[in-house]
Amino acid sequence: MQDTDVTAQRLLTSAARLSRDPETEIDWDAPVGDGYGLSPEWSTLYATEYWDELTEAEQRELTRHESASIAATGIWFELILQQLILRDVYAVSPASPEFQWALTEIADECRHSIMFARASGRLVDAEYRPRLPARELGRMFKAVATGESAYAAILVAEEVLDVMQRDWMRDRRVEPLVRTVNHIHVVEESRHMVFARDETRQRLAGAGRVRRWTSALVIALAADMIVSSMVSREVYANVGLDVERAVRAARGNEHHRSLLRSSCANLMDFLGEVGLLTAPAARIYRRTGML
Amino acid sequence: MTYAITGDCCSDASCVSACPMNCIHPSPGEPGFGTTDGLFIDPRTCIDCGACAEVCPVDAAKPADQVTPAELAANAEYFADRPLLDGLDLDSWEPPRFDPWTGGPRRVAVVGAGPAGMYATRELLLRSTAEVTVYDRLPLVGGLARYGVAPDHPSTKRIVATFERVIAHPRVRWRPGVEVTELGTSYDAVVHAVGSYRSRLLGIPGEDGERSCTAAEVVAWYNGRPGGERLPVPLAGPRAVIVGNGNVALDLARLLVSDERRLAGIELPAAVRETLAESTIREIVLVGRRGPDAAAYTVSALRDLLGLEGVEVVVDADGRHDPLPESLRRERLDLATPPRPGRRVVLRFGTTPTAWDPAVGLATSSGVIEAGNLFTAIGFAGSPVHGLPFDEERGIVPNVGGAVLGRPGQYVTGWIKRGARGGIGANKACAEETVRTLLNASTGALAGGPEVSAALL
Repeated sequence: MQDTDVTAQRLLTSAARLSRDPETEIDWDAPVGDGYGLSPEWSTLYATEYWDELTEAEQRELTRHESASIAATGIWFELILQQLILRDVYAVSPASPEFQWALTEIADECRHSIMFARASGRLVDAEYRPRLPARELGRMFKAVATGESAYAAILVAEEVLDVMQRDWMRDRRVEPLVRTVNHIHVVEESRHMVFARDETRQRLAGAGRVRRWTSALVIALAADMIVSSMVSREVYANVGLDVERAVRAARGNEHHRSLLRSSCANLMDFLGEVGLLTAPAARIYRRTGML
Repeated sequence: MTYAITGDCCSDASCVSACPMNCIHPSPGEPGFGTTDGLFIDPRTCIDCGACAEVCPVDAAKPADQVTPAELAANAEYFADRPLLDGLDLDSWEPPRFDPWTGGPRRVAVVGAGPAGMYATRELLLRSTAEVTVYDRLPLVGGLARYGVAPDHPSTKRIVATFERVIAHPRVRWRPGVEVTELGTSYDAVVHAVGSYRSRLLGIPGEDGERSCTAAEVVAWYNGRPGGERLPVPLAGPRAVIVGNGNVALDLARLLVSDERRLAGIELPAAVRETLAESTIREIVLVGRRGPDAAAYTVSALRDLLGLEGVEVVVDADGRHDPLPESLRRERLDLATPPRPGRRVVLRFGTTPTAWDPAVGLATSSGVIEAGNLFTAIGFAGSPVHGLPFDEERGIVPNVGGAVLGRPGQYVTGWIKRGARGGIGANKACAEETVRTLLNASTGALAGGPEVSAALL
């Protein structure tokens, strides 16, 4: 078996050991409480003056909308990801573990998207989507990205989301529904990230400097797009905040950047290890607050 | 099938936060963290996802079919008497910890690019926007991880690659080959991570005589540390005594009894391999002052020693009332006469060295041990840092949570902060504490903080 198949086989076995079904694991009819939507420390406004001016109820409401917005970005990216993977294994032998794992992952992502959609609908009365330019770029990316660009971009998106969710699922202040949803995602995502790392390494084996340089740049730009799409402007409007002031405060929020940076430490280590943290890429990650 | 952690574990706990099922313990903050021999994976809850292996900096987390039966047993054993933690019960997890952003310092100097300094630098980069200047006396990053870890433990040395990436960060200025001598005013804070590199001495007559030296000097030599290019003493054989039974003593013992075949498989400078291969040493006596219950080596280091092919390991004792493995041979040996044929490591406990005479050997509280070489490996002590207070007795710079007493802006981390104890990974939690203290004290760039003026060597 090839290396990728060995990894895929292991992940298939792991999935057999514990796969989660939000359909049956979550009581979707249970009433939803008024807990935080995410750890308050993860709010884009936490530690700013604006945050301190809000009442606790407003802060809670803000985090619930932020959580729903991030989930919407998650869904958007999971859709892109499903198409990327489908395109990638289109011609791979169905008998191979790589193929079977890829479809397992698509099935996971599909369930996750439904789960995020339902949970967000229960959490807030609002709809979020990434803004139009991001959606159009995503449409292009899912059609053209290949090899390490596709897999490392998957990795970046999932890993950023993953680390936040690990905090939220352990946080007793966060609404129990959100905690469960996040844990389901974290468990299955840990397998997806192992696979994405493995695919990235395999695809990069033997890649020349130019290709590495280009891929590094594409991945960093994708990361920038994803991270900047996470909390939409409408969040602030829906909570009744001064949108311009909130966006300004969020942009200058060093506390948030520092949390994001810490969360991305393992990811940056990996990108460095495989040679995808080139100087231009590093500049983009620094601007995004990931490095 | 599950994953398991091998004896190479550095305990820096990167894996703990990557596990989606909360099955790696002891985690930081839990009793036993930093004192048990590595970390362990609970086979009852591991789902075999491999996330831990992805982030392990030393490749110690592996699928169960790739570790030794002893290592697999060690993982299971750790959890034998512990309650089953249900990963799905999220309230059984430690709550997350958030350190708020504080404004942070503008410029920080880190003195020392070993594990302590590198973990501190990494933490500063993550938690602040400070520009960090890293100084080291040596030309390469890594400190003891590069120059202290035995060359037959190559996966542990892999952590140096992580440190090299820290040094390459755009907010880091790397100043190798610099001896920091004086402190003045261009940094908002200085973190001293200079380690404890002075070897402790026995204080017995003849210790500084012929064919006697510290284990640290030999370790520096076989690791190619600048300044340690020459082996300080000729290897005499056929027996050598190593005083001390910590991991450094065991590392040295393994290397010294290795035959040519084993040496060929270890990455060593050619001259070092040649010298070791030509050495006539074939028996090592490890002398410990106290009993085996007080031995300083880790379980995995002992396991390594016992696993050496073609090398007999003997405990020089009659009884079996000790915590050593049952399978270990106990036998009274006559160490006053030349060793019998074969390669051997002898563990001798409850013996206090009293004098070294190169013509005879080591005189001890329980008779003479005939030997051609004496190596002392009884630990390290810190040296005073210029301009900082020093606790002679403990060999550290007195501090509270890393802040040097009575010296605002000055911090310590690593061995110079807590004494020469703990492996590579222990420095992570230690550095995190120091950086937390530093950031909490610093509410913005301070005017006129301490300055490091450095002299090029």
